[in-house]
Amino acid sequence: MTHDTDDTTGTDRTTDTTETTATDQRRERPQILNRLGAPKPGVNGDESSRGRRRFLAAVGSAATAGLAGCAGLRSDGSADAGQVAFSDFRGSGRLVESRPEIDAPRIADLPDLSGELTLYLGGGEGGLYRELVALFERIYDDFTAVPNAGGTAEQANKLVTEGEETPADVFWSVDAGSLSVVAEEGLTAQLASETVENVPSTFHPDRQWVANAGRARAIPYNTDQLSASDVPDSVMAFPDSPLADGGIGWAPTYGAFQAFVTAMRLTEGESATRDWLAAMQPSVTEYPDEFLTSNAVADGEVAGGFANHYYALRVRDARPDAPLELAFTSGDAGALINVAGAAVLGPSDNAELAENFVAHLLSAEAQEFFATRSFGYPTVEGVPPVGGLPTIDELEPPELDLSKLSNLEPTLRLMREVGVL
Amino acid sequence: MAGSGADSGVRRPFERLRRLSTTADGEPTAAVALLAAAVSAAVLSPVAWLLLRAAEVGVSDAIRLLASGNTLSVLTNSVALVAVVTTASVVLGVPLAVLTVQTDLPFRRFWTVAVALPLVVPSYVGAFAFVSAFGPRGVLAGVLAPLGVEIPTIYGFGGAALVLTAFVYPYVFLTTRASLLSFDTTQLEAARTLDTGYRTAFRRIVLPQIAPGVTAGALLVALYTLSDFGTPAIMHFDTFTRAIFLELNTFARSHATLLSLQLLGVTAVILALESRIGPGEADGYGSRTSTDTVVELGWWTVPALCLLAAVVIVTLGVPVGILGLWLVRSGPGYAAGGLAFEWTFGLNSAAVAAAAALVTTLAAVPVAYYSGRTDSRLGWLIERPTYVGYAMPGVVLGLALVFFGTKYAPGFYQTLPLLIFAYVVRFIPQAVGSTRSSVMGVDRALVGAARTLGETPRRAFRRVTLPLIAPGLVAGAALVFLTTMKELPATLLLQPAGFTTLVTYIWRVQEAGYYGRAALPALVLVAISSVSMLVILRGENT
Repeated sequence: MTHDTDDTTGTDRTTDTTETTATDQRRERPQILNRLGAPKPGVNGDESSRGRRRFLAAVGSAATAGLAGCAGLRSDGSADAGQVAFSDFRGSGRLVESRPEIDAPRIADLPDLSGELTLYLGGGEGGLYRELVALFERIYDDFTAVPNAGGTAEQANKLVTEGEETPADVFWSVDAGSLSVVAEEGLTAQLASETVENVPSTFHPDRQWVANAGRARAIPYNTDQLSASDVPDSVMAFPDSPLADGGIGWAPTYGAFQAFVTAMRLTEGESATRDWLAAMQPSVTEYPDEFLTSNAVADGEVAGGFANHYYALRVRDARPDAPLELAFTSGDAGALINVAGAAVLGPSDNAELAENFVAHLLSAEAQEFFATRSFGYPTVEGVPPVGGLPTIDELEPPELDLSKLSNLEPTLRLMREVGVL
Repeated sequence: MAGSGADSGVRRPFERLRRLSTTADGEPTAAVALLAAAVSAAVLSPVAWLLLRAAEVGVSDAIRLLASGNTLSVLTNSVALVAVVTTASVVLGVPLAVLTVQTDLPFRRFWTVAVALPLVVPSYVGAFAFVSAFGPRGVLAGVLAPLGVEIPTIYGFGGAALVLTAFVYPYVFLTTRASLLSFDTTQLEAARTLDTGYRTAFRRIVLPQIAPGVTAGALLVALYTLSDFGTPAIMHFDTFTRAIFLELNTFARSHATLLSLQLLGVTAVILALESRIGPGEADGYGSRTSTDTVVELGWWTVPALCLLAAVVIVTLGVPVGILGLWLVRSGPGYAAGGLAFEWTFGLNSAAVAAAAALVTTLAAVPVAYYSGRTDSRLGWLIERPTYVGYAMPGVVLGLALVFFGTKYAPGFYQTLPLLIFAYVVRFIPQAVGSTRSSVMGVDRALVGAARTLGETPRRAFRRVTLPLIAPGLVAGAALVFLTTMKELPATLLLQPAGFTTLVTYIWRVQEAGYYGRAALPALVLVAISSVSMLVILRGENT
């Protein structure tokens, strides 16, 4: 699943050197920004820029220090966004070591962000989204984002309560359902077709909002106990599979698991879902969350589990030798994909900046950020996920209106009836 | 009263103010009543939003929802939880108060602080710690399993009741303790010279006098239990707050509104009940606080110490221990990503909580003074509604103020003043309660005596009333401070842009599953709030 090398220190050193260089360059940023224009990936010959030259020198010395498998850094790592290098967007760690060249529009191809943007964050991945915003602010001197964070549903409820009086320019939320609700209230402005052109159309319904990253339901399994063929293609077939024989871990109190059961209820019906839950029960072990579920699979406590795909990647990132792989079911609730996305709010008097900000979330740099920092699924074509996973358009999610997933109560009732909760 | 001309010139307006506030017989005047009524109306205003929203719900829809089985079970669950948690808090809080005030228990000061401290632990942190310790695959479950100890499931009614009791019983402990401290122990001695045993004396003499204190604490416990979201959410137990949250999560706002109104109905019933058995209107004696030993424990010392140790281990040891574990254990899987902790978050929390404590105390004074001094029914009508905000789920209060803020006060929307107003609405009963009981404790004859001796009303207030009610004011302010420190839902909805506090940071990292990162801010939160607990306890002993 991953391309492990022993030489992790080399990568770390490179990152450090790059950051030092970036700080040095900050002081002379205005000139560099003017001179750089829009460099193409892999073009290294712009010797007119002092900052650029220094950056390349830094990469060169790190490379001689024994850098392996980091071709992406050299070819992509141009200082294309002023003092912020492509590598500043990229995460570190074993899973990120060998990233291919990213073939997608760059920040340098977009108009500058300028002015103050009021940003309602729903969720926000523990501050990761703020880090991305901070990177944007480093690139553009006169751009400031004022974040206002809360739960996804709380933020949507707040926006709906504020209505036309909302001070927000952009709603950026990690849950598709909350975006749909705000769109249904007529509070979103339609995005330009150029903004969303590189994103599959299922991820920008009616262009009212656009997904910037996805998270897929996946089946982590222990490779010492099972092979890929032991994991059925359909989640409904799990109860009578080798997977069930080895024990399955799940986290029924976890929101993403409940969303999965909701999806099953919506696609297969209540009674089939009830039967499935009951049939699963003899084989399952309960965990408090899906990171611990994935960790338990890696430990061999259970042969497989139910978890969002990135938890297995986090385990692999921390424990590269863990016997852990991911399988995906096809076309059913087990293959559900939920997305984080952003919308420009109709009442905003800052619509141009807001739209440009959304476009920045779809830039190669931001997509690489989502892919390598939080191990999310990039939504822009040409940006692959980490860990050798299938790309988002190779997955087969069920046909489902994601906003319906918010109707949790019947699901919880069902789970309680069966005794899962 | 010799004073220079300039001095009295300054004084005159104040005297006028004093005369405005108190008539000769000590009954507050209309001006105070008006001020108290204004405060009461202001803190009740969020209910108006609920009524507006409810008006949008069709009658048939409303009846269908209110009569549904689910609503009934939510009502039963909530009432049962309130009853059990309140009873358990009294059963636990009153003996602990007696032990630490009236006995020769060793290390009394230490135990006093230790059993009061659980109040500073936010319920969502506490509940989470309990799940981590006793839940499926929990830390302690893992330790106890080889010893053959099966821990019953922590989820559901039992877990919710246990966790809530563990972190709110100190309300009863504190109020009971305050009553015991002002209790005149000479009465007990008198009873015992008449050859009455302590148990009988306690029932016949102590209990009637501390009953107002006990019920005041029980009321806070009951209303807190109604409004708490974190515990039932983490323990998967369906109460009003959890049902309201689920409805809001599915964007069924009309249902959330109806449930909130039902919740307020339950609140009204509790408030009415409490005022039946609540504080009598008799004046206090202004007696000196007393921690004299009344009961010698003898061989009861050992069981008493065991009880105290058990309480402290469960209510303080478990959460702090789990937080410490997270702190040292935060491996790469947990610590990656997320925002770095900044110490300014702690400063922000402390500053906004201090401001909230100050404003709330100031707003509480007219209400407490008027309702504590008057014998009229109006005092009751003004004081009771200030408790409503306390029982309101934070998310409902927050949305109400989002609505009013954007529609009628856009200049204040997402600013600190509106956030502080939310805290006032939510926590004013704590300040009103403790201030009111100290106002009632001031013997009106003392003020009268001061006036007879030629003191102006202002000086009488300053030299007699104020020193006597100061401990109540400070204790109320400290309670508001520590509850503001840990308030989460309303804070999230109303926080000014870029203003991060400890709880919003904890929420941010915990939401992303980085529990290791929540440990440090949670411990800082507990540490800062502990200071306010020390203030409360110190105030009592002066």
